[in-house]
Amino acid sequence: MTRLEALPHYVESNRFEHFVNYELLGKTALRVQRWRDQWKIARRRPRPDSPLNPPLRSVVHMKEIMSRHYLEGRYAAGVRKVAWVTSGAPTEPLQALGYFLVYPENHAALCGVRRKAQSIAEEAEHAGWSRDICSYARTDIGAMISGKTPAGRLPRPDVLVCCTNICQTVLHWYRVLADYFECPLVLIDTPFLYGEANEHEVAYVKRQIEDMICVAEEIAGKSLDEARFQEVMTNARRGAELWLEVLNRSQQRPAPMTAFDGFIHMGPIVDMRGEAVTVAYYERLIAELDERIERGIGAIKEERYRVLWDNLPIWFKIGEFSKWLAERGVNVVASTYTFAWGELAPMIDPTQPLDSMARVYLHPILNRSTGHKLDSMRRMVDAFELDGVILHSDRSCKPYSLGQIDQRDRLVKTLGVPALLLEADHNDPRDYSDEQGSNRLEAFIEMMEPRA
Amino acid sequence: MPIHYPRAMLRAHRLHPMEIWGPPHVERHEGSRHFQAYTCDIVVKAMSFIRSGGLGVAKAILVPHTCDALQGMGSVLGDFLQPDQRVLTLYLPRARRGSDHEFLQSELRRLATTLVEVSGHEPSRSDWDEAFEAEHAADEALADLYRRRARLAVPDHDFYTVVRSREYLTAEQFCQQAAALPEGDAPRRGVGLMISGIVAEPALFDQIEAMGAHIAGDDLACGFRRVYSVSAQADPFERAAYRLLSSPADPTCGTPIQARVETLEARMRALGARGLLIYDPKFCEPELFDVPLLRKQLGACGFPVLHVEFEMGDRLPHQTLSRIEAFVETLS
Repeated sequence: MTRLEALPHYVESNRFEHFVNYELLGKTALRVQRWRDQWKIARRRPRPDSPLNPPLRSVVHMKEIMSRHYLEGRYAAGVRKVAWVTSGAPTEPLQALGYFLVYPENHAALCGVRRKAQSIAEEAEHAGWSRDICSYARTDIGAMISGKTPAGRLPRPDVLVCCTNICQTVLHWYRVLADYFECPLVLIDTPFLYGEANEHEVAYVKRQIEDMICVAEEIAGKSLDEARFQEVMTNARRGAELWLEVLNRSQQRPAPMTAFDGFIHMGPIVDMRGEAVTVAYYERLIAELDERIERGIGAIKEERYRVLWDNLPIWFKIGEFSKWLAERGVNVVASTYTFAWGELAPMIDPTQPLDSMARVYLHPILNRSTGHKLDSMRRMVDAFELDGVILHSDRSCKPYSLGQIDQRDRLVKTLGVPALLLEADHNDPRDYSDEQGSNRLEAFIEMMEPRA
Repeated sequence: MPIHYPRAMLRAHRLHPMEIWGPPHVERHEGSRHFQAYTCDIVVKAMSFIRSGGLGVAKAILVPHTCDALQGMGSVLGDFLQPDQRVLTLYLPRARRGSDHEFLQSELRRLATTLVEVSGHEPSRSDWDEAFEAEHAADEALADLYRRRARLAVPDHDFYTVVRSREYLTAEQFCQQAAALPEGDAPRRGVGLMISGIVAEPALFDQIEAMGAHIAGDDLACGFRRVYSVSAQADPFERAAYRLLSSPADPTCGTPIQARVETLEARMRALGARGLLIYDPKFCEPELFDVPLLRKQLGACGFPVLHVEFEMGDRLPHQTLSRIEAFVETLS
């Protein structure tokens, strides 16, 4: 038995199944579901006992977009070429070539939000993967070997594209995927920037993107259409600009959305940047945020403290944290993580696609030094008029977390901003203690009291 | 800092490397003030060592980009702690394509400019030639040690003491040490093991020997993974890049898992190893990802695999030794 045969849940579809189940029935069902959700939201009465104001209406559109994406994924294998990609991978050429893209990290986050991550990760642990490796990786490896997923089914990849601009972990993880799926693994190796980028680093990334395009063209059996590529790049830039605008709307007092909302609404910019639907979605979201700002409606009812979140979210706690903090007047209005998909928008140049991609994909916050991250936090503290910083010390994400102890010290000592190191994990509930976490958060809120 | 770096380039700049693999006798306390509990001992203990003045004689600290943990260490040192020594970094590509060779040459050129600033010495052509000659002789001596291992009349403890002396001796001193190991009837009794992982202190080998086993070969980052191929390109940067990208299979360099399995299987058969002991410091992600597939695929080839994680310290934990002992017994 080949390793691929040991994964019987990866089945191919055909054009008929894709058309009937996705194009015809699936899309229609999701549209109906969206109408139903809109109707429910419109009829929902404000809950006086909730510390949160009603959720953003746009969320139903986001849910439809993301569900449609995962639904198509069920029937994509055999119909479209499929690439599994890391969240920081240069995907625009793949989109222009018509690939269906799967983001294992986003899938793992979905498992986390649905509170399925632990049981799926345990499948990987039972197969021998240590609990000390990234919980995203464990979740996805567990899903791969067991077929368990809240998404129904993921399509088997024709190619894997791994970009190290978020961590080295992805390389080790994708080597495992390549071993199972027996498909090409394209590596885009992005030198870590301890300071400013050097030209040889940009040239290296550019050449690897060119090589990736050659591999992708060969697998797709067609050449990259320049006009389509430029269209994708234009959408990518516009989508990132709009996403940045969305996030910056929280500079208003009260902030119309929380960072926890941001973690959910970032789905399209991560999974579908470069697509027109993403641009349209963020335009809609901005319009709704502006309406809230005009009417003075905040995400939470009583915004006493404004806080920055550093690092990935704790996916399985998003709802609880949002409410718990809101009850205490804390609005987490910004996050270094969500900004990562917007702050590089000005660097995207559709007229120089490869050069600008090389620069953009070298510069995510995770590929930059701990000092750079501290500077970003300082800027956000000023721009968003923040009262404190929660640094999620994420057991699974070492490149994001190492350096936080010194960053916290400097925030406290040089800026005089209360800062808390909160030990947890982005996807594994076994690494978070409710009691300890809430004790520390209570103490943190007390530290912010004089700033209220 | 581990693992791969351009030795000849340092020598050409009149710098002598002393490697830090998280000195095992150093406490984590000082390092723990900067890194979380889930950070590997090599990084945390090295930080303790540096912060407690252990590197007083050094002019610079070179942190090759080996993994996320060492990346964090290089960044924290450079951005926040700013020790007396200059903090230098080197990005090592994770593949061996044409683009990787070109990049690494440029990266080495960048490093060379900072080495000139550190040492105050701009190497001449003869400096480069002399450095490459000396370091290649030492590389060859290391490779030769491994080739001659079965004929050397020394226990594993002594063998690995010499192998690891490359971490602090000059090339000439290392060649002398290597040449001094006597050939003869090797005291190699019991079951042959292949040992893989990042680093193992020589004391471990005494314990393994006492259990009735010996090390038939290794796949250690501090050992065989640094048996480089020798080349003779005229350009020093091309030559140094070739050396670094010619190291044996290594997960930190992105070697595909299948290639690792095939290499390990071939070496184990050739060396007469009966099983694989994977011996890793805690929280070493590059190593941990491969373990289940090594276990499964080497197991299918008839080679049992034991994975042991350890915390660096003065003594080997009893539980660790018990597991290795049980493994040896199953192979006997």
